[in-house]
Amino acid sequence: MRFLHTGDWQIGMKAAALGDAGARVREERLAAGRRVIETANSHDVDFLLVAGDLFEDNAVDRVLVQKVVDILNSFGGPVYVIPGNHDPLVPGSVWDHLAWRSASNVHVLFEEVSVDVPGGILYPCPVREKHSGRNPTSWIPTEGDGGIRIGMAHGTVEGVRLDEPDYPIPRDAAQRAGLDFLALGHWHSYGTYSTPDGTAHMAYSGTHETTKFGERESGNVLIVEILSAGAPPTITPVRTARLDWVAIERDLREHGDLVRVREHLESLENPGNTLVDVSLSGLLMADERAELDHIEQILGSRFVWGKFDTSRLRPSPEDESWITKLPLGIIRDAAMRLRDTPGTSSEIAARALMELCAIVAEVPQ
Amino acid sequence: MNIRSIRVADWRCFLDEIQVGPFEEGLSIIHAPNGTGKSTLFEALRRALLDGHKVIGKDVEAIRPWGRNLAPKVTVEFIHDGQEYRIAKQFLDSPCALLERKENGRYRRLAEGVSADEQTREILTKNPPGKGLAKTPNWGIAQVLWVPQGNLAISSLTGDVVSDIRSMLSAQAASGSTGPVEKRIEERYLQVFSAKGKLKAGKDAPPLTRLKDRLEEAIAARQKAYDLYVAFEKASRRVEELRTRRTQARYNADETMKALRNARAVAEIYRTLVAERNQRSERVTAAEAQYKELKQRIDLIKSTKRDHGEAQKMLATLESEGPLKDREVQEREKEAARWKAELEDARKGREAVDKAVQIADAARRFNECGRELRRISEIISKIEKAEKALAECRKKRNVHVAPDARSLKVIRKVIKDRDDAQLRIDASLITLEIVPHKDGSVEVVSGETTGFMPLKAGTPTQVHGSPEVVAEIPRLARLRAWGPVGSVEEHREARAKADKKLKELTDPFGTSDLDSLESVAEKGKELDASVAEADTKLQTLLAGRTLDEFVQERNTFETTSKSFLVTYPDWGKTAPDTDALDAEAEDARLAFITRVENAEAAWDKARSALTAVSGQKETLSQRLEDSKRRVTTLREKLSELTSDGKSLEERESELLRTTMAWQSAQTRLAEIQGQLNQYGDEPVAVVERLEAQLEAANQESNQAREQEVREEARLEGLSAQGPYSALVMTEERVAQLQQEVRREELRVEAIRLLYDTVTACRSEAIAAVSMPVETTATKTLQRIAGRRLGRIQVGETFEPSTVVPESIEEAVTLDNLSGGEQEQLYLATRLALAEVLGKEERQLVVLDDVLTATDTGRLARVMNVLEEAAQRLQILILTCHPERYRGLKHATFFDLETLIA
Repeated sequence: MRFLHTGDWQIGMKAAALGDAGARVREERLAAGRRVIETANSHDVDFLLVAGDLFEDNAVDRVLVQKVVDILNSFGGPVYVIPGNHDPLVPGSVWDHLAWRSASNVHVLFEEVSVDVPGGILYPCPVREKHSGRNPTSWIPTEGDGGIRIGMAHGTVEGVRLDEPDYPIPRDAAQRAGLDFLALGHWHSYGTYSTPDGTAHMAYSGTHETTKFGERESGNVLIVEILSAGAPPTITPVRTARLDWVAIERDLREHGDLVRVREHLESLENPGNTLVDVSLSGLLMADERAELDHIEQILGSRFVWGKFDTSRLRPSPEDESWITKLPLGIIRDAAMRLRDTPGTSSEIAARALMELCAIVAEVPQ
Repeated sequence: MNIRSIRVADWRCFLDEIQVGPFEEGLSIIHAPNGTGKSTLFEALRRALLDGHKVIGKDVEAIRPWGRNLAPKVTVEFIHDGQEYRIAKQFLDSPCALLERKENGRYRRLAEGVSADEQTREILTKNPPGKGLAKTPNWGIAQVLWVPQGNLAISSLTGDVVSDIRSMLSAQAASGSTGPVEKRIEERYLQVFSAKGKLKAGKDAPPLTRLKDRLEEAIAARQKAYDLYVAFEKASRRVEELRTRRTQARYNADETMKALRNARAVAEIYRTLVAERNQRSERVTAAEAQYKELKQRIDLIKSTKRDHGEAQKMLATLESEGPLKDREVQEREKEAARWKAELEDARKGREAVDKAVQIADAARRFNECGRELRRISEIISKIEKAEKALAECRKKRNVHVAPDARSLKVIRKVIKDRDDAQLRIDASLITLEIVPHKDGSVEVVSGETTGFMPLKAGTPTQVHGSPEVVAEIPRLARLRAWGPVGSVEEHREARAKADKKLKELTDPFGTSDLDSLESVAEKGKELDASVAEADTKLQTLLAGRTLDEFVQERNTFETTSKSFLVTYPDWGKTAPDTDALDAEAEDARLAFITRVENAEAAWDKARSALTAVSGQKETLSQRLEDSKRRVTTLREKLSELTSDGKSLEERESELLRTTMAWQSAQTRLAEIQGQLNQYGDEPVAVVERLEAQLEAANQESNQAREQEVREEARLEGLSAQGPYSALVMTEERVAQLQQEVRREELRVEAIRLLYDTVTACRSEAIAAVSMPVETTATKTLQRIAGRRLGRIQVGETFEPSTVVPESIEEAVTLDNLSGGEQEQLYLATRLALAEVLGKEERQLVVLDDVLTATDTGRLARVMNVLEEAAQRLQILILTCHPERYRGLKHATFFDLETLIA
């Protein structure tokens, strides 16, 4: 038995922090879905398992539902899908869409009833509500017919997050239920859970396309191969994501630090598929002021999305050129005051000082 | 820069060349009457040092002497930076300019033409003024130092002079680019904020405002999308609830159906048992009825036989009582007749009783009449006596003549008049009183009474008379006394008149003595009182009636009494004893009544007895009849009851059999009732209840389904709108705009902070620079005008703006000062500024006829100030009042008139 395990596509996902770039991010998630099918085809899997949260919400645009069904339907073999806590099986859900009925190879499993899959039996654990404290795998019977037994569930393995025990799944759920493999969904990072003998029989595939900055080990699907009942599964993560989410945080202390930041940005590959979050703190040199604008321009022009946080950046008090380059008298006094006594908002004071320097630079001497 | 001399020719009034100078470093006074050319000289000085030699225009044309076509010329020698210079200029015709510098004791050409103009101007200011010498802002530092006539006030100085002043004050003066930078900052600020510091609105609003508007719209759109999303969620939950409800209702219906089926089966069995029970119950009822009927008949036969026997006995008894009752009736009738006769006889005694009563009544009336008669006679007698007494009193009164009160009053008045007249007579008489020491006589020659009068020693003797009294004491003296001529005759006439009147009034009374008259009057009153008393007594007796009425009444009583005596003549001798007669009448009446009542009672009793006995007889007859009928009836009834020919024993046997059948039926009925009692609730009722429940469950299920269908349709409509996706887009839009707003706010706040900071720094710098000027000018003003005006405050460009008097510590504008005070204030400020400007090089101050409004006292103090200032400045004063300045010790005076001459 060879199958592709994926989940948490979160189609229609909100990316409020990305502003107008959110639409691009959402589109990429659909494209990543197509790459999942491509991966499935290229790895010659028997079937697909989608372990919940195919959609971000049951109220997504119905066109998206059709698109997803079309994507899944483009796979030659069966696709088994369970609802997750983002798209639970409730009235008005995405699962009511007529498209599902027309996709003959896509099976949305609504009941806790075993299903024959190529090479074995699948025990699905569909989700019917957004939150629950029930172990979704508890219904799985421990006895089978001797064939390969796999399960598909959506929830939180105990110990992953203490503050969100939605659909708690014991760490040894696969073992308890006598499953050869338990395909998990809910968390967006790839992770496996091994039995005491070191064999992983449970895994999160993670989301097929990264959803936010700092999300480690995401953007993958899993190719799982089980040779026979009781045999340890071979789990192979395959990257399907295209977008890179790069967070850069620097504390500037010396002359040239800012330039190096810009150089680093310029060195990033594939900026057209990269989102960048740059956060600078520390000291700004007067002659590097123009670099800030440059960086801002690079971020705005090359990348899918760029955020440039300089709120914690301050004019370097040791760099007297902030002051000496300014005309004597009131202007210089004002500059010193802005630098040395920023008042309630040092960010505004720093910005004011930079404005002043910009104006002085503009005025012909 | 100090000047040494000035030479002018062909300049307005100066046709001939004149030279004024050499001027000392300190104070120089150029004086001349009005119109001599002082101001013209000043003008020439200015044009020489500040104007271009090629300048044209009406202003320049005006310096040409009137009616002449001459080219005005001016030459000024001056010292600058320790160097001596000479500038000579010719205007209008063949204009030229030549600047020379003294080198090695000789003036050598330094510059000519425009270059000479420029170099000369640069001496007075770093930034030479532009064209337009007519405007003082173009004079450079001369704006401060040189004061044309009537222009002592300082308006805003040009920026370069201000910069010069500031730089000379070593303040934080701006460099050449400060002004433009500040201006640019201000422009940036005003792009966003209004002059009052508020964010601009309307068409001039900055991008931030538009961003905020868009953000607001986006937030509204987000709210709308959110509401739609929430509606979707609610609809989904609602559908779920309805589905659950429908499922539950369906389940309830199914369960109810199952229960109903079971209940129906049970009810069927129950019905069968009930039918069987009913059958057995009927049998029991029939057996019971038969038993009762038999029992009833047997009992009836027995009782009828018994009753019949008793009825026969009764009939016999009644038949024997009949004759006895007849006899009793007869006896009672006899008794009643006897008492009736007695009653009639008793009633005949009434007539005698009536008569006795009549007599007693007449006797009483006769006695009453007699009493009345006696009473009235007594009253009549009293009345007659009273009338007689009254007549006597009246008679006495009529005899006694006395004055009444009014007459007495008149008499008193007349007596008073008389006495008054007498008093006046006495008063008007002259009285001569002689008190001899020894006995003698006096002859009254003239007086009231004339003749001799004896004199007794020690005894006063008076002689009266009018208008004089003359008395002679023989051989001693002739005494004469006289007085004012009085009206004694008038008084005597009055006295006589009063006497006459008195006599008239009192003659009827026989006396004119007042006391007597009063006694008589008193007596008269007493008599009047007795008359009144007698009259009162009479009236009391009459009591409102007349004597005739009393007499009439007495006659009536007499007539009545006589009528009684006709019937009872013995009463005339002896009055009847009404009590005895009353008693007799009463006794007779009582006896009569008693007899009658007794008779009546006895008769009533007899009649009652008769009636009772008659009734009893009637009753006895009736009972006899009834008894006969009863006997007959009972016999017939008994015959009927036994018509079937059965004997009593046979009937009782039959009864026994019937009883046993009945008991058997009851036992079987109880058996089946026991089976029925095992069913708790009535199964049929249970079936009906369950049927109703099933119907309700079906209805609920249908309703839930209908609602579910409706809500599903609504949910479908909502989900078709993709509310989450719409919400996502609006939220992203809002986030995007919020970011932009934040960015823009940061920029705007930075601009505001920058502007405020620069403004604050500028204000502080100005304050630092202007303070020394304010301090110096204030001190100078206080020396001149005292402390009243307080502290001078200058503006940014050093023009005096306000004063702050010590008394109020509030700024006061200069238009509140008097003309003289304003002069002094402006002079003090110019001198303070001149000191600043003269720090590096001694400067020339020119004052053309200033302080015209300053009084003599203050002017003297101004002189002191000028003398001191002259230690640091070259001061040139143009005036038509040289005498004002004569007090200056070290001043040099130039009489222009003399110089011209």
